[in-house]
Amino acid sequence: MRVTALAVLGVCSAAAPVTALVIVKDAIDHGMRAHDKTRLGLDVIAYLAVNGLAWILQTTLVRGLARLGQDVVLGLRQDLFDHLTTLSLRYFSQQKAGWIIARLTSDVDALSDVLSQGLTTLVVNTLTLLAAIVGLFVLDWRLGLVALVILPPTLVLTRWFQVKSHAAFLRVRETISAMTAQIAESVSGMAVIQAFNRERAFLAEFDKANDANRQTNTYAQYLNSLFFPAIELLGVVAMVAMLWAGGRMLSHGSLTIGTLVSSVFVLNLVFQPLQELSDLYGQVQSAGAAMEKITTVLDTEPEIHDEPGARRAARIDGDLRIDHVSFAYGRDPVLHAIDIHVRAGNCLALVGESGGGKSTTAKLVGRFYDPDDGAIRVDGHDLRALELRSYRRQLGVVLQDPFLFAGTIADNIRFAHPEATDDQVADVARAVGVDRIARRFESGLLHEVREGGAGLSAGERQLISIARALLADPRILIFDEATSNIDRPTEILIEQALDRLLRGRTSIIIAHRLATVRRADEILVMEHGRITQRGTFDALLAAEGPFRRLASQLKGADQALQVSDATLPVTGSRERSSASVASSEPE
Amino acid sequence: MSRRFLSVDPPDLNLWPTAKGLAGLWREQWRLVTLGLVCAFAMTGLSLAIPIVIRHAIDDAIAPTSGHRAALWPYLAVVLVLALLRFCINFVRRYATARTGIRVEARMRELLYQAYLRYPRAFYDRHATGQVVSRATNDLYPIRYFIGWGMTQGIQSLMMIVGIAIVLFLVNVKLAALALVAMPFVAVLAFTFGRKVMPISREVQQLKANVTEAADEAVVGIEMVQAFGREDDVQARFGEKAEAVRDGVLRQARIEAAFLPGLLFLPTLSIGAVVYFGGRDVIGGSLTYGQFFLFYQLLLQLVWPLEALGWILSLAQRATASASRSFAWLQGIESIPEPTHPTSLPTGPVGVRFDDVHFSYGTGSEVLSGVQLEIGAGEVIAVCGPTGAGKTSLLNLLPRFYDPTDGRVLIGGVDARDLPLEELRASVAIVTQRPILFSIPLRDNLTAARPDAPWDEVVAACEAAGVAHFAAELPEGYDTLIGERGVNLSGGQRQRVALARALVAGARVVVLDDPMSAVDTQTERHLVENLRPALAGRTVLIATQRLSTVEVADRAVVLDDGVIVESGTPDELLARGGLFTRLFGEEVSAAA
Repeated sequence: MRVTALAVLGVCSAAAPVTALVIVKDAIDHGMRAHDKTRLGLDVIAYLAVNGLAWILQTTLVRGLARLGQDVVLGLRQDLFDHLTTLSLRYFSQQKAGWIIARLTSDVDALSDVLSQGLTTLVVNTLTLLAAIVGLFVLDWRLGLVALVILPPTLVLTRWFQVKSHAAFLRVRETISAMTAQIAESVSGMAVIQAFNRERAFLAEFDKANDANRQTNTYAQYLNSLFFPAIELLGVVAMVAMLWAGGRMLSHGSLTIGTLVSSVFVLNLVFQPLQELSDLYGQVQSAGAAMEKITTVLDTEPEIHDEPGARRAARIDGDLRIDHVSFAYGRDPVLHAIDIHVRAGNCLALVGESGGGKSTTAKLVGRFYDPDDGAIRVDGHDLRALELRSYRRQLGVVLQDPFLFAGTIADNIRFAHPEATDDQVADVARAVGVDRIARRFESGLLHEVREGGAGLSAGERQLISIARALLADPRILIFDEATSNIDRPTEILIEQALDRLLRGRTSIIIAHRLATVRRADEILVMEHGRITQRGTFDALLAAEGPFRRLASQLKGADQALQVSDATLPVTGSRERSSASVASSEPE
Repeated sequence: MSRRFLSVDPPDLNLWPTAKGLAGLWREQWRLVTLGLVCAFAMTGLSLAIPIVIRHAIDDAIAPTSGHRAALWPYLAVVLVLALLRFCINFVRRYATARTGIRVEARMRELLYQAYLRYPRAFYDRHATGQVVSRATNDLYPIRYFIGWGMTQGIQSLMMIVGIAIVLFLVNVKLAALALVAMPFVAVLAFTFGRKVMPISREVQQLKANVTEAADEAVVGIEMVQAFGREDDVQARFGEKAEAVRDGVLRQARIEAAFLPGLLFLPTLSIGAVVYFGGRDVIGGSLTYGQFFLFYQLLLQLVWPLEALGWILSLAQRATASASRSFAWLQGIESIPEPTHPTSLPTGPVGVRFDDVHFSYGTGSEVLSGVQLEIGAGEVIAVCGPTGAGKTSLLNLLPRFYDPTDGRVLIGGVDARDLPLEELRASVAIVTQRPILFSIPLRDNLTAARPDAPWDEVVAACEAAGVAHFAAELPEGYDTLIGERGVNLSGGQRQRVALARALVAGARVVVLDDPMSAVDTQTERHLVENLRPALAGRTVLIATQRLSTVEVADRAVVLDDGVIVESGTPDELLARGGLFTRLFGEEVSAAA
C-alpha cells in the first residue's frame, strides 16, 4: 500500500520537470511565435504550478522513502540482534566478536545508506531518466532518435566507470582501515613504543600506510576527475547532434524552434541522473554484500532451543544429576561418560589442570551446550525437557573474569533482577562487601563502569558479579574462581561473600584456591575429561592420588609450602585463620 | 612543588591562527593550487563561451532573425572544440585540486602522528584512544574536502556567478535583473541546509556509535546474558538504541525533504520570469530566440555554483572547526623536554636512586610523597603494597613516562632528566602492567626493543620467560601473527612475551610491573626459577602481588600511601609482622 503510493508519487515527481519543458515548448511556439501574450502568461502559470507540485511531491517522496527504508533497517537490525541472543555459546566461540558486531553495525549501516539516501537517488533519478527519454520522443521522435545515438557510448562509459570506481573505492576502504588500524595500534601501544625507542620504526610503518592511502585516494579521484567531465562532454556532443539535425529540419519547416530548444533542455535531464546514478552503484554493491553476510547469521539455527512440549521450570530444589554424560566441542571428546550427583544445597568443587573438562561440565549444567550422550537432570527432570529461560532464571553464574556492562555498579548488580529496589541493591552490596569497593568512588554504587569494567581490578569485578548472582537469588550456582592475582584484602572480601552466596544453594565451583576447595562438600578431580578421584577434602588429602599433587599447586597452598620451608611459626587451625582474616579488614 | 604541569589538553585555536595554519599547508602545495586556479578560470570562460556560441548558432543559422541563413556547421564545430577543451581543462582542474586535498590531508596526518610519538603519557591518560585516532583520521576529512574541492570550487563558483551576471546584463538588463532576484536565495538555502543538517548528522553518528556499543556489550557479555536468561532486557535495550538511530536518520531526512526540493524549485521561479518577460520581449522583437536560449541555459548553469557556495560555506565551518582542534594539539602540547645539557650514563651496571621523589597526576592528591630508595647496581628489588599504593607510578618514573613533581630519579648517578631520552629508554626496559603486543609476527614482537638481537639470545630469553614452551605449539611457531587478524594469545601468554621482549632488550635497568599477574601458579613457579639467572647483572625493580615473585628479589620494599614503610629481605619482612605480613602472611597461616 505504502509502496504503491510512493511509486505513484515517484512517477509523478519525475514526470513534472519534463512536463514543465513541454509547457516551455508551448510557450515558445504558441506564445512567442504566435505573438499570443495570454497564452504565454497561462503557460508560465502552468509551468510554475507544475514545478510547485513537483516540490511538494518530492518533499513527500523523500520523507516517505526515508521512512520506508528506515523501518526496514530497524526491523532487520532488531531481528538480527534478537536472533543473535538465541544462538549458542558454540557460535560465539567460533566467530570473533568483531565479526559478529560488524554484521549488526557496518553491514546494517551499509543497507541503511542505500535505503535512505540511495533509495531516493535511485528512484528519483531512474524515473527522471526514463521520463526525459519519453519526453524527448513526445516532443519529436526524430530528435529523440538522434539523442539516443549518444546513449550507447554514455552507457558504456558509465558502466566502465562503475566497475573501475567500485574497485578503486574498495581499495580506498582497505587502505583507510589498514591505516586506521596502524594508528589505533600505535596509540594504544604508545607506552611500549616510547619505552623501547621504536618511534622511527613505527613512523616508517605509518608513512607506508599513509602513502598507500594517499595513492589509492589519488587514483579514485583520477577516475572521478575523468568521468564527470566526460559525461559533460558527451552531453555537449548530444546537444550538437541535436542542433545539427534540428537545424536541418527547421530549415525544411518540419520542426518548430520551440520543440528544438525544449528538446535541448530535456537533454539536461538525461545526463544529470546518469551522473548521480553512477555514484550509487558502489553503494548498492556493498549493500548487497552486506545483506549476504547478514543472511548467513540469520540462517544460523540456534543450537540450544526449547524442545516442543518443554515445560516451565517451577522453583527448583537443586538436586543435580549428571548421568553418564559425554561431550565434544568438535570431533575430540572432552567429557567421557561422567557421573556426578550433587544433593540440593550441597557444594561441589571441581579441581584439575586446565583442559580437564571442568568448565565444560559447568557449561553443560548451565545448558550452554547439550550433552552428546547421557543427560543432565535437575530435580529429576532432563534439562532438555525444561523451558530454557525458566531454568536459566534460576541459575546463577560467576565467571572467572566477569563481564561488566556499561552503567553504574548498581546497574550491574541489578542486571539479573532489574526490578530490584535501590535498598535491595544496597543490601546485597553490603552483604558481599561491594560497598567497600564503591567507597573508593565519589558516587559510590552509582559509579559508572566503563568498557567491560576498566578501572576495577579482576577481584573487584568478581565481587560485583557475586553481588549480581546473590541478588538474582539462584537455586543453582556456577562459580568459576578467578585465577588472576587479586590483592589480599579483596580476596578476603570474596571469601566472605562466597560464604553468603553459597548458603542454601546447590553450587558447582571450579576451584583454584585451597580455601575454596576446603569449603566444598565433595571434591572431584577431573583429568582429560574423566573423574579420576572424588571425596571430601580430608579423605582426598589422606589418600594416594592426583589430588595431593594438585593441592600443592592451588593458590594459597603455594605460599603455605614455601613458608613452611622458611622458619616461620606455623599456626595450623582454621579458627586462627578466620581470626586473622577479621583483623586484616580495612576497618 | 613549583614545577608546572605539561599542558595536555589545550583549548581549540581561534579562527585566525587556524586559518594561518591551513594557509601554510595550502602554500606547501602551491604548484597544484596555482594549476587548479588557472584551470578554474579557463573553465569559467569556456562554460560561458559554449552557450554564447550556441546562441549565435540559433540566431544566425537555425532561426535567423534576418532573412539570411548562415551555415550551421562552423558554429557547431566551434562548440565541439570548446567542449573538448573544457573536458581537458575540467579534468586537470578536478584532478589537481583533489590531489591538493589528499596531500594536505596526508601531511596533516603525518604531523599529528609524529606528534603522537612524542607526546607524554599524561596526554594518553587524558584522551581516549578513539579520540586520538579519529583526530588523525575522520576529523581530517572535512579539511581534505574543503581544500581539495571547496576552495577552488568556491573561487570558480564566484567567477561563474559574476561571469553569468555580466553576460546576462550585457544581453538584456531588465530581464537579467528580474531573473537574478530569486537566485541569492539558493545560496542562502543551501547554506542554511548545511548548517541544519550538520549537527543532526553528527548526532546520527553518535547514535550509531551507541548501537555499536550496545551490540559489542551484548556480544562480549552473551554468556552472562544467557546465563541469567536476560535476553529480553538486552533486546529491549538494543531495540531502543536502534530506534533512536532510525529516528535520527528520519529527522535528517525531514530536513533534507524540506530543503532539497526547495533548492530545485527556487530556480524555476527565475526561469518562469524569463519565460514570461523574455517571451514578451521576443514578441515585441527586442529579444531573439537565441538570447532567450542563452538566458535559460545560463540560469540553469547558475544554480549549481550558487548551491555550491552554500555547501562550501558550511564545509568551511566544519573544516576550520576540525583544523582548529588539530592545530591546538600540534601547537599546544609539549613533548617531554629533552635535556639542554645532555649527560651520558657511565659504562657497566648502574644503580638507581629515588631521591625524595614526589609525584602527582596533576589532578588530585599526591601519589608519591617523598620516596627515598637506593637500589644497587645489579640488585633485584621487589616493590610491594596494596592496590593504589603508588607502585606503578613509582616504576613509571624510570623510563620518564612521567617526571617527578619534586625530587630526582637518578640512574647511575645521573638525573634521568639529564639523559637524552633515547639513551635513557635504551637503558631501561619495562614490562607494563597490561602487556601490550603489536599485530606483527611473534618474532618481531620479541625483538621490538632490539631488532638486531642475535637469535640465540632471543631463544634464551624465551626459555627464561616461558615463551618457548607455547611458541612451539603456535601454528607457525615464532612467525605466527599475533592479534585480531592472527592468533589471540591468552593474558598469561601475552605477559610472558612482554617479559621476554624486555629481556631481549638487553637494558641495564629492567622494570617489571606485576609481570606475572595473569600467569597460572604452576607456570609462575617455573618462571620464577628461570628468571633470576636471566636477570643476572641487571638492576631490576619488580612490582608484584605474589609472594612467590617477591622471592626472586634480593630485597623487598613496601609502599603504602606514597611512602616506603618497610624494607628488607622477604623473610625478614614476613617475620616483622608489619604491612608486608598482612599482605602476604594471611595466606600462609590460612593454608598451613
